[in-house]
Parts: sequence; structure tokens; C-alpha cells
Amino acid sequence: MIQEKIREKARELLSNKTVDLIIGFGEGSLPLRTTPRFIRDPEKVNRLIWNSFCENNLATYLHKFSKLKVGIVVKGCDARSITALSLEKRFKPDQLFLMGVPCQRMVDRRKVGRAVKGEILQAREENDLIHVKGDGFEIALEREDFLYPSCQACMHRNPIHVNVTLGDPVEESPLIESYHEAKRFEQMSPEERWNFFERETSRCIRCYACREACPMCYCTECFVDSSNPKWIEKGLSPSDIQFYHIVRAYHQTGRCSGCGACERACPMEIRLTYLTQKLNRDVKELFNYETGIEPDIPPPLSTYEIEDKQDFIK
Amino acid sequence: MTLKLDKKDLKAFLETLMEEYDLFAPVKLAEGVSIYKKIDSPDEVDLSTENPQKPAKEVFFPQSETMFRYEKAGKRYQMTSTEGVERERVILGARPCDIQAFSLMDDVFLGKEYKDVYYGNKRKATTIIGLACPHPLSTCFCSSAGGGPFLRKGSDLFLIDLGEMFIVELLTEKGMAFQKNKFFREANTKEISLAKGIEEKASTKADASVPIGGIDRRSDLMMENPFWDRMHEKCIGCGVCTFLCPTCHCFDIVDEAITDKGQRVRNWDSCLFPLYSQETSGHNPRPTGRERTRQRLMHKFNYFPKNFGRVACVGCGRCILYCPVNFDIRQAIKLTSPKEIKKVKDEVDLTRQ
Amino acid sequence: MKNPYFPIPMRVKRTSVETTDQMLRTIELSFLNEEDKRAFHFIPGQFCELSVLGKGEAPFGIASSPTENGSLKFTINKAGVVTTALHHIEEGAEVGLRGPLGNGYPITLFEGKNILVIGGGFAFTTLRSLIAFFLQPQNRNKVKDITVIYGARMPGLLLYKEELKEWEKRDDIKLVVTVDWGDKDWNGKVGLVPNVLEEVAPSSENTYAVICGPPIMIKFTFPKLMALQFPNERIYTSLEKRMKCGIGKCGRCNIGHLYVCKDGPVFSYDQLEKLPKDY
Repeated sequence: MIQEKIREKARELLSNKTVDLIIGFGEGSLPLRTTPRFIRDPEKVNRLIWNSFCENNLATYLHKFSKLKVGIVVKGCDARSITALSLEKRFKPDQLFLMGVPCQRMVDRRKVGRAVKGEILQAREENDLIHVKGDGFEIALEREDFLYPSCQACMHRNPIHVNVTLGDPVEESPLIESYHEAKRFEQMSPEERWNFFERETSRCIRCYACREACPMCYCTECFVDSSNPKWIEKGLSPSDIQFYHIVRAYHQTGRCSGCGACERACPMEIRLTYLTQKLNRDVKELFNYETGIEPDIPPPLSTYEIEDKQDFIK
Repeated sequence: MTLKLDKKDLKAFLETLMEEYDLFAPVKLAEGVSIYKKIDSPDEVDLSTENPQKPAKEVFFPQSETMFRYEKAGKRYQMTSTEGVERERVILGARPCDIQAFSLMDDVFLGKEYKDVYYGNKRKATTIIGLACPHPLSTCFCSSAGGGPFLRKGSDLFLIDLGEMFIVELLTEKGMAFQKNKFFREANTKEISLAKGIEEKASTKADASVPIGGIDRRSDLMMENPFWDRMHEKCIGCGVCTFLCPTCHCFDIVDEAITDKGQRVRNWDSCLFPLYSQETSGHNPRPTGRERTRQRLMHKFNYFPKNFGRVACVGCGRCILYCPVNFDIRQAIKLTSPKEIKKVKDEVDLTRQ
Repeated sequence: MKNPYFPIPMRVKRTSVETTDQMLRTIELSFLNEEDKRAFHFIPGQFCELSVLGKGEAPFGIASSPTENGSLKFTINKAGVVTTALHHIEEGAEVGLRGPLGNGYPITLFEGKNILVIGGGFAFTTLRSLIAFFLQPQNRNKVKDITVIYGARMPGLLLYKEELKEWEKRDDIKLVVTVDWGDKDWNGKVGLVPNVLEEVAPSSENTYAVICGPPIMIKFTFPKLMALQFPNERIYTSLEKRMKCGIGKCGRCNIGHLYVCKDGPVFSYDQLEKLPKDY
């Protein structure tokens, strides 16, 4: 069982002092949830768990523990984020130990919650079913019907460039067409696209959960916070909010692993991944580049060559 | 006085209400997402939703609010305050937790030294129609925080949903002004006892076991406790818990300007943002998540009680429900028990470095 | 209800550069409305929020003394957006002002006592207000000995140079000005404030100490005050914190249950010791 393998490896890494800290997932306080867990004591590794609710991208915590040697539990997408961060020289060599877990695809807890009438008080995963129980109901749901869209389209469930893979590799077989959100967005008319974007961002409360949940957003001072120069205002005017979301997405070009952490973090359930997915798709088509695959090749927009085309500059 | 309002009359009732008042009520923005908003048409009002994501504090303390406008005329400036409230207001459908939070916000904004006119004017002009919570969630702990799913205190009128109708209780002078409303009729004893039954059932459901009592004294000695070294670790430093908290009230003041014309605006701010406490010199008195998480929790459970005699938490559970990393304030509260603190301390000491 | 967020209009009467590095500028403001002037009463150590409309608002200690009627002085360190705008402001221009805010120095506690004023760098502003207040003929006999130790990194960085010269001539104030590094024109004292304090060694008997300066200076001066047997409750300081509202609402200057803007900025070390070290 993967969970056992994670614990075993974590115990070993802490005991032989390969790492100071393990970042993994632990039991959440709510049904259908896990919570990031930080383990320093080899005796406490049993607090680590693994299931279909390990939705966070733990790589975002690496910035917080930049002085420690860290062992981290990673899914395919999380590992790619770390490769991308390594390209940006965020870590010292051998500072990290990546415990890769081939991903079974994560379950959208909100979608499950909406499939039943009443509050879910208990949930348990068994094979391909999620058993949920609440006041006056108890049913089993097909896991596959409740996967996050980003997971359904995932083509990199097996973590690469990791120190160890825990569990058997899975077959890379997207359940739905890859880049499906981007494609759906492309098929809209410009007006529909604008309306969609406008409607989604209108719910934004500027809590920056999307930014903080993303491992790639690590600027010491985000452009929205700069007072000199002041790029945008901090209120709720639509143009400021839209500007934030567009720039946030653009900053991810060629750096986004498509993990979906931004969208999962949003308390107002704003759709965000279609934007980054569109940029990922463009980068793939124009430069044949995918984030976090090649450990030595920087993202196309972070580099240049003398022969680069410039006929598009008018 | 106990009356009733048939749901089929709700729309007409709201229409007449809107003739006299600016109406604020829950509006659904997307599946499972709602906020309190100024209503343009009664059809927008959705009283069937769960407690909206954004608390009702927004009606008195908007996330972004203009304080005054200015325009340069020669060498002088013409400044116009926007503190006035043009029409009387009604908040419809606020839950008892949010309403309890109003009284905590009153302590801050209407305190004895300085009165906040922007908050005060809106508050004074508002009639509150509370809505009972028949189905508290497992994350609700209002009953631990001095409230309850049917707490009427703070409401002028109070609604209890009976399916086909609302029981309407008129509780204050402002509420009694609705006595003659043509859509309200006398409730019969059967309806009243049905409401009682729902109340009894609901009151057992909100968690009353979160140990908030005495937390102000317990936490007195906690400032330098290694507890905080662990507490903040999973916090990613976003503003979800503070923005969605009905009692959090920190704000920033900025000028928005185009050359000679502009406005001074206040926007919600969060003690969890590094920039909040960062000084111009670069010095930050709360440099890491440790100090910032401590500020959030200590303000609620230690500093606020010192100033106003009660904790700044009403147990609405929003911070638990919407935290992207499942930081659970109930666990933090439980960890302040002397026994738990010792456990955390031992563990931290053992593995420090 | 009076709107505590609404600034009153002030006119920039004079501006002058204080230091050779051009980073400190004193601006003198006069009231544009007579009724605002009549209603404005402050004590040394209080501060105001100054507005440059369109740029924003920031807090500044009042550098003038209440005894200097008719106008208010502020010495401004160029650091952020608002302070830069205040550096560029022209004489005759209008700025907004809210205040006086904060508690100020405990003037009545000082009455009948000696006062020891220790200042470093540009934190000398409200100390200047305090000294000027007690040097005023009608106030001079309120306190006994006035001892002032004021240090800056270099002679050019001293504030209020003309006034320091005036004070030096008086025999009812003991003034020791020191710099970390002298230059060819400097014939005064060279030495760090903590060391100069040790050398001057004022008696702590019947004396209140007021100390304002950079954190590093305070850190090293404090033990010297302890050695001179100043008890914590007779050492006062003024805290600098990021502030916005200035009236205890917006939350950012919160230290424990206190708000620097409304419960401070002046605190005794006795008070500070009981607070979290969030400053």
C-alpha cells in the first residue's frame, strides 16, 4: 500500500538524517479532506496518509523551509513544479528528496458534496468507490465521476525527476481530451470568452489564495502589492481584478504544471485553470515545451536565442 | 410578537420593502457560492442557500469603500465626504452568527474614543431581519462562542423557515414598525410549536464543546510558546480566513487618483499578508508566518477580550470550510489547553534545530 | 458624528532641507481655517496624519512645540510614496491633516522632576517638541534640570542645527551633541550615544529619561540606563509603527491588546515589557 511505503521511506529519511523535515499529507479535520503535515520525528511518520483527497501542491511550502533539507511527497504535477522551480535556482543541489507517488487522480471534494442532499459527515474511500454518510443518507459514489478536471486531463501522473517512486507506475491515459478547458475556451467567440472571464473574475475577493497556493508564485513582492510603482489599485473594481488574473496567468507561461492548486484554493470557486491551460497549450504548440519535463531546459519565455524569430514584431 | 409570512408572498413583500429601503440579502453567484449584495430585483434574493461565503459585515463595512472624493480647484482642494447614507436599509436573511458579529464590530467601530462614521451611519440606518439556522453544519460552533443557531439578539425581526412559510418574530422597536405590514399574518399555535421543534433540534446540533471559555487567560502566557512554531507551518498566508471572517475588521487606506481628481478608499486588509505590517524602511515586526498566524489567533482570543471582554469569534466555521489547506481554528483552540500545550512543547523541543 | 477620517486643509508655509544628504526636510504648515486652528490643541509627542491627495496619507510626529503658535512643523524622512511627495511639495500648496493623534509624552508626570532626553538620528523630531516646550519661559520652571544627549552619524545629518546652537548658549539646559564620525569642521564630541551617555552619567535620581532613536541605538543605550539605575517605569520611548487610520480601528499598529496609534506612540519600558515584541 502506498501509504505504508510513504511512511517507511519517511522514517528512513528522518532516521538516517538524509532530511530534516518531511512534508506530506495527514488526516484532515473534515470529511473528503487531507491537510499538509510536517514531520520531523521518525516516530511520528504514521501521521502521513495517502488517498484521493491529497489535492494540495505541497511544493508551495518549499519556499518556507528554504534552509532545511526536505523530503516531500509529490504527485506527477507537483514533481514537475519542483523541476521548474529548480530551473529557477530555488534550491541547493541535494537539498530536496522527492518521494514520488504515481497519482490515482484526485477527487473534487466540492463536487462530491453537491452530489448529495445534506452535509457529508463521514467519507471513506474503498477501491473505486467513495462511501459518504450524513444525516439520513449513506451512499457509495463512483470515484471516477468526481475527479478534478485538471486530473482527468492529466498526461503526467507518474512523477519524473524524483529520488524515489513509491508504488507502481500508472498508465498515462487521459480520461478526457488534453487541454480540454483551453480548447473549449478557444472555441468561444471573443465576446463569449470575455463574458466568461468577466463573470468568473467578478466573484474575486482578492484574498490571493490562488497566488499563495501556487508553488510558482514566490516573488518577495507581488506586482499587485507594489506601491512604487503602483500597477493596480487594491479595491474591487473589475478592471483591477481582471488585470490581476491576467497577469497572474501570464507569469505562469511555461512554468505552470497544470496542477490546479489555484482553482482548488479559491473560496469563491472561480475557474482559473482554463487560462493557464491555454497558455500551456500555446507553449506546447509554439515551442514544443512542457513544464517540468526537461530538467535543463528553461521555459521558452525565460530565455532567448539570437536566431529567434522576430518577424512578429511590427 | 409572532407572525407569519407565506413564501408565495415573499416576492411581493420584498417589492414593498424595496420601495422604502435599500435591501441587502443573499444572492447566489454560482453553484454553491453566494454573498450579501444590494438587491435590484426580488428575484435575486436566495434564502435557500447555506450561509453565504462572504459574511454580512459587508453591508456595514464594504470590502472596498470610498471615504471621500476630492478635486483640485486652483491651489485648493474640494473634498466631499461619502459618509452619508441616503436611504434606510434592510439586511434580510443574516444568520445569528453574523448578527452576533455585528455587536463585536460595534465595539471596534463605535468605541468610546473615536466613532467610525462610515460604519456607524450604515449601522444606524439598518433594520436587521435575521434568519434562523435550522441545519447548523458540523463546522458550526456558534454555541461554543456565546451564540446559537436561533440566537435572536441583534435582530429586529427574526425569520424561521417552516417550508411553506416563515415564522416572523418582531423583536425590537424597529421590528414592531412592521406590525401592520399587509403580508404578515398572525401565526397559529400549531405553526409556533412547529418552529419551537425546529429550534430545539437545531440547538443540539451546533457544536458547544469547543473550549473557548477561559481562552483569554490561558493564552496570556502563550506569546513565546513553541506552539506557534508548529501552528503556522501549513498556513500559506492567503487572506481567506480573515476576509471571510465576520469579525475581522482590519483595513488599508489608499488614494486612487487620476491627476487632480480622485478618492480616498478603504479596503479590507489581512494580518496574514506580509505587507500588512511591513514598514517603509523594510523592517517587518511580524516577519514570518509564525508571528502573523499568532496575530490572527491572539487578536481573536486574547487581545480582543482584553479590550472588549469577549472573544472575536462567533463560531461561523467559514475559516474552517474555506481554508485551502484545512487549517482548523477549533483544533488551534483545543491545543491551548495546558495539557495539549505541554505535548506540543515537548514535541517541538525534541525536534528543534 | 464627526468624521475622524476627514482631513482638515493646511497650507505649506515653508519648507527647508535639514540634512546634507537631502533626505530630511522640515515643512511648516499653517491652518487654512480659523476654526480648525482654534480647535487644535496638542502636547509634545503626539502625531498627525498628513495627506498629499492622490498619493495617500502617512503619520508624522509633530516637531514643533505647542508654544509655537499658529503653525505646525514636521520633519520628514524621504522613504516611501507619501514622504517623497511631501519632499517635492511647494510652498503655498495645500495638504490634508488629521490630528493630533496619540497620547504624547506624560508632561504632567515630568513636572518637578529632572528630564534626560536621549535622541538619535531623525527620531529627534518629537523630542525637539518636548525640549522646546519646556524651554519656553512660562514652562521652564515646571521641570528641574534638562539634559539632552543627541547623536547623528555625521555632523551634516544633525537636525535643527541653528536651534542646537541657541540651546548650547543657554545655561538652563545641558546639551551634549555627538556624531559617530566627525569631519574637518566638527569640533564637537565624537562617539556613539550609549558611550556618551555613560560618560555624561546623569543621575537617575528624581529623573525621567525619554529616548528615541534607531532600534540599534536603543538596544545599546538601554543597558546603560539600567546601569545608571533608571527604573523601567521612568524610561519613556515613542514607537514607530506602520499606521493607517491613526484611531485604533484598522489594526496594523496593534501590539498585543494595545494600538500604537491610540494607546501610544509613547510608552514606558515598564509597559513595553508586558507586551509582545511585535515592534
